[in-house]
Amino acid sequence: MASVHESLYFNPMLTNGVVHANVFGVRDWVTPHKMALLVLLSELGRAGPQLGLLERRRLNRLLLPLLQGPDMALSRLRKAIEECCPQLAGSVHIRLKLMAEGELKDMEQFFDDLSDSFSGTEPEVHKTSVVGLFLRHMILAYNKLSFSQVYKLYTALQQYFQKDEKKDGADENEMELTNPEELDGKMEKEELDGPLREEEIACSGPLSQKQAEYFLSQQASLLKNDETKALAPASLQKELNNLLKFNPDFAEAHYLSYLNSLRVQDVFSSTHSLLHYFDRLILTGAESKSNGDEGYGRSLRYAALNLAALHCRFGHYQQAELALQEAIRIAQESNDHVCLQHCLSWLYILEQKIFDSCVLLEHSVNKSLHFGLPYLASLGIQSLVQQRAFAGKAANKLMDALKDSDLLHWKHSLSELIDISIAQKTAIWRLYGRSTMALQQAQTLLSMNSLEAVNVGVQQNNTESFAVVLCHLAELHAEQGYFAAASEILKHLKERFPPNSQHAQLWMLFDQKIQFERAMNDGRYHVADSLVAGITALNSIEGVYRKAIVLKAQNQMSEAHKLLQKLLIHCQKIKNTEMVIRVLLSIAELYWRSSCHTIALPVLLQALALAREYSLQYLASETVLNLAFSQLILGIPEQALNILHMAIEPVLAHGAVLDKGCAMFLVAKCQVASAASYTPQKKIEALESAILNLNEAKTYFAKVDCKEQLRDVLYFQARLFHTLGKTQERNKCAMLFRQLHQELPAHGVPLINAFK
Amino acid sequence: IGRAGAMAAAVTMVVMAAGGGDFSDLREIKKQLLNVAERSRERGLQHSGKWAAELAFALEPLPLNELPPPPELTEEDARDLDAYTLAKSYFDLKEYDRAAYFLQGCKSQKAYFLYMYSRYLSGEKKKDDETVDSLGPLEKGQVKNEALRELRVELSKKHKAQELDGFGLYLYGVVLRKLDLVKEAIDVFVEAAHVLPLHWGAWLELCNLITDKEMLKFLSLPDTWMKEFFLAHIYTELQLIEEALQKYQSLIDAGFSKSTYIISQIAVAYHNIRDIDKALSIFNELRKQDPYRIENMDTFSNLLYVRSMKPELSYLAHNLCEIDKYRVETCCVIGNYYSLRSQHEKAALYFQRALKLNPRYLGAWTLMGHEYMEMKNTSAAIQAYRHAIEVNKRDYRAWYGLGQTYEILKMPFYCLYYYRRAHQLRPNDSRMLVALGECYEKLNQLVEAKKCYWRAYAVGDVEKMALVKLAKLHEQLNESEQAAQCYIKYIQDIYSCGEVVEHLEVSTAFRYLAQYYFKCKLWDEASACAQKCCAFNDTREEGKALLRQILQLRNQGETSSTDVAAPFFLPASLSANNTPTRRVSPLNLSSVTP
Repeated sequence: MASVHESLYFNPMLTNGVVHANVFGVRDWVTPHKMALLVLLSELGRAGPQLGLLERRRLNRLLLPLLQGPDMALSRLRKAIEECCPQLAGSVHIRLKLMAEGELKDMEQFFDDLSDSFSGTEPEVHKTSVVGLFLRHMILAYNKLSFSQVYKLYTALQQYFQKDEKKDGADENEMELTNPEELDGKMEKEELDGPLREEEIACSGPLSQKQAEYFLSQQASLLKNDETKALAPASLQKELNNLLKFNPDFAEAHYLSYLNSLRVQDVFSSTHSLLHYFDRLILTGAESKSNGDEGYGRSLRYAALNLAALHCRFGHYQQAELALQEAIRIAQESNDHVCLQHCLSWLYILEQKIFDSCVLLEHSVNKSLHFGLPYLASLGIQSLVQQRAFAGKAANKLMDALKDSDLLHWKHSLSELIDISIAQKTAIWRLYGRSTMALQQAQTLLSMNSLEAVNVGVQQNNTESFAVVLCHLAELHAEQGYFAAASEILKHLKERFPPNSQHAQLWMLFDQKIQFERAMNDGRYHVADSLVAGITALNSIEGVYRKAIVLKAQNQMSEAHKLLQKLLIHCQKIKNTEMVIRVLLSIAELYWRSSCHTIALPVLLQALALAREYSLQYLASETVLNLAFSQLILGIPEQALNILHMAIEPVLAHGAVLDKGCAMFLVAKCQVASAASYTPQKKIEALESAILNLNEAKTYFAKVDCKEQLRDVLYFQARLFHTLGKTQERNKCAMLFRQLHQELPAHGVPLINAFK
Repeated sequence: IGRAGAMAAAVTMVVMAAGGGDFSDLREIKKQLLNVAERSRERGLQHSGKWAAELAFALEPLPLNELPPPPELTEEDARDLDAYTLAKSYFDLKEYDRAAYFLQGCKSQKAYFLYMYSRYLSGEKKKDDETVDSLGPLEKGQVKNEALRELRVELSKKHKAQELDGFGLYLYGVVLRKLDLVKEAIDVFVEAAHVLPLHWGAWLELCNLITDKEMLKFLSLPDTWMKEFFLAHIYTELQLIEEALQKYQSLIDAGFSKSTYIISQIAVAYHNIRDIDKALSIFNELRKQDPYRIENMDTFSNLLYVRSMKPELSYLAHNLCEIDKYRVETCCVIGNYYSLRSQHEKAALYFQRALKLNPRYLGAWTLMGHEYMEMKNTSAAIQAYRHAIEVNKRDYRAWYGLGQTYEILKMPFYCLYYYRRAHQLRPNDSRMLVALGECYEKLNQLVEAKKCYWRAYAVGDVEKMALVKLAKLHEQLNESEQAAQCYIKYIQDIYSCGEVVEHLEVSTAFRYLAQYYFKCKLWDEASACAQKCCAFNDTREEGKALLRQILQLRNQGETSSTDVAAPFFLPASLSANNTPTRRVSPLNLSSVTP
């Protein structure tokens, strides 16, 4: 959850969370494809009333994407028209054929006639309509062409048409066209072109301006929303290089190449591309000749800011700080509050990396609201909530804040932030130990229809929030003993976020954690130990903790103790309360394993106090269980039963199956222990209820396949049956116990003395 | 028959040129040069012909009976003679298509080469013309020499059949290089050099394709005297100046002392290592020998510019303008001239003109960037520098210029990247290091800054400012001992070089030293420095005050301080005890960032 936001704070093509696909300059050029469109338009005008209503509607719907889209081959265009109105497609083809196979003057005549459609009292086309603007653009662009350019356009048209013809011809009768001589020449050519081939595939048909723009914006938005659908890093880079070879001034390609290098964590080329992009951007900005708000002063500020972001991403915090200072200074000098706001948010992220403070963040949120930057404000609120949750602030207030910011999101339809918000709620509920609530939130996000789908047509489901939610879901399932479901979810995660993608680390960590838990339950400590290295690589604190647990399980008490003490000090320093409590619990366990219950008690009380303070309910219940156990051993089972009542409810409601089993087992033990002082009648009742509880514990343990605990329970149950004189049941339990006992190695710790 | 004849001719050439760096028979060499000059000219390869002729001119004239006979004509040559003669005249008039048309079907080597070469040149010419009116910005880069692919197909067929002579191989290599098939091109050029070692064009193309020393090592080159010229040239290109100068010296010793080509190359080499005086004198010599020479004069003007020699530069500019004003070099010289006169708009105009004449002329982009910088038009400057980098990624001046631009825009962190790039390309150039140090100083990264300044001093500081800056840094950090050391070194440096340029810094150095010695109670040294201070206007009063104080304190502590030894005195004591050694230690300039 820690890095939910980082990647979102920055992206120059993105204001308030919306990708502006059309950041590129619009300059029109006459291309053969556009001429085909012009023919289509004029045919449309000529056909006029003869067209049916349905056909007309279909054509109108086709026109807009054609006008805005990239150039395409004639055959594709013809197919598209044919689908709407076959008759029109035929006439368009004939007109083009006449023009292409005729003379230059046919084309000239065509352009001369074009402007007629505006004239007359009732013109066919309005000058300011979409079609009218397109026509006028084209006429203007054509008139600007020089003599040789006109001729070039004409030959391009001929080629455009002939390519299509040839294709048709090739489809119909291959043999006819290729006379032996030509075939010979072709063969030779192909032979010789052997080494050239490879490069030519890469530069398959130089892209036109529009196509290049379309390609860039498409890839950029894919990178943002759904990385797996974008081109693979290597091939994308190849395409970009190709594009840049043809037009080095295409600044946006450099930016995309920067994003692409980030994907593969390449510091050098990403820095290079980023700086190159801004150098180029400054050029285009310079045309507007203003140093102020727009123009190149602005891009300078953002250049520095982006450099800071880059360094931050690669973990060069000191460099990032320097760059950020620079950005802030320039932004201040030119009074750019919006840029300053972005800087402030980054400053917060940096500060968070180095030491926490939320003063800055609060400030940032206030200012963002003031300057009307809802996106930044919401991100700020979310970061703030996250931090406050760790700091143990009142839960209701946090939820209120999230609710308020949700209102803001829905109002501005910031679907990305809505996702994050839900993911965050999932995480917070998990933190508090309310697994059902977490489960519910996770399912909400997964089954919600994204707003984005309406906007762009790209399913926005490869963002970090989805990864977070899915990971939590996997863990929740694993806790309940549904390992198959958990591994199914993980499999899905692996597909959606391939191992080298940005958010893959999340599921890797969760995957290993789940495996670790399973190995521990099964008592395969060597397997667990081997997983520790992997966990440490992804999260060092978690790794150390797990290492200590393995050591503890292997009865290497003093090593485990040393490790835990170190970890405790570290976690207290970085204020990771959740981990502090878990470490304290483990330490307490170490103490009672060494039969030092009196020393364990204060540790447990400390943990309990902390858990209560930070409203980490689940950890609190667990602490209570530990306390009760200590009390049981210290000979005050009545007291233990009393406090158990507090903990048992939340554990049963939200706990992992294993914990549920342990809790029930403990209850049974306490019942038995306290029954010693009862009257015989009452004693029998108490023992019978203990047996029932044990049965429950048994089912829980069976679910997660904890044979050791199962064995203990069976032993205990057999003893109880024995006391009650129920021989048959006793024998059954004893037999089951014997089976398990043979399977498992003998245990060092006395059976009854262990809780968990 | 023709093929066999061509091969035979090629073989004789190999035999003729063999002799591996052996310059004993200069007459033979001269004969070869005259022969190849003639053959190059016949094929329209004017630059190679010129080179050979220039070199031949530097050698003693041959007596009549030793003059090489005109190249023998084969049967085929005779058959193609008419077509060839006609086509060659068209070719000389730059009517390439026409020449190619009349040469179709010619079988002789000479005619065939001219046929292919005119097709190639026609394609190139059309390509250049096309660029002006293309149909859109994206199409601009796509304009290609249409003839290249066909030429490649035909030539590679001939190449496989081993029907190409040295010139043919050269053309094939050029075509391959134009198609960006660098590896294949290198192989073909090497082959061309083996078949016809005397053709300088092939060697020159090879120079352009080889990017580092390692590549050079792995080439198997023919062992002829031409190789020496090639090696010298490529050493200059790869900035291995020491080796290049050695090679050229040995060439001069071998008897080419009159060659203007070698003289100009030596001058360029000196320019590259910033030995300005030597380079200037050599260029002056060159101009005496070859007063109408335009080549390399842009480098000469750069030198004059650096030395701010206005009259000389003005003379050069006018002179060149009279010779030919539509030459890239001329425009460049005039641009430099205007720049020196601070007429930066005009200077930029002339650099632009140079680029119009030859868009691939790298230096002009960088120089134009400098001009825009002077005009405070930072965005145009960035544009110009970026263009320069595009033409040649290894142009350290453009990287440095970009860094300067961003520094002017007050983005010291941002410009670090650019300075670092420049530093990577010229690791031993103190200017980049000083610039880096200044940036770090602005960013308050004093440790890094100190490293940079020290390194700048260690690699040989050009502007002599690194030490002062280092001293000031030490001063700032209260490391008075080191500061004093630096000032001492600085003063020593300044005085040892004879001329005192920056009075201001010298005076500050003396002032600091005076104070320092005063604090250390080394009265003699202190008063010596204080006296020096009195020689400068801005520190005179302070110096006098200090002298008075010293006198006073001396009188007071006469008895106690007499026996204090005086370990320091200028300049004899400078090498004393703990002066930092001038050893270049590996410099770790925050390696995390590129």
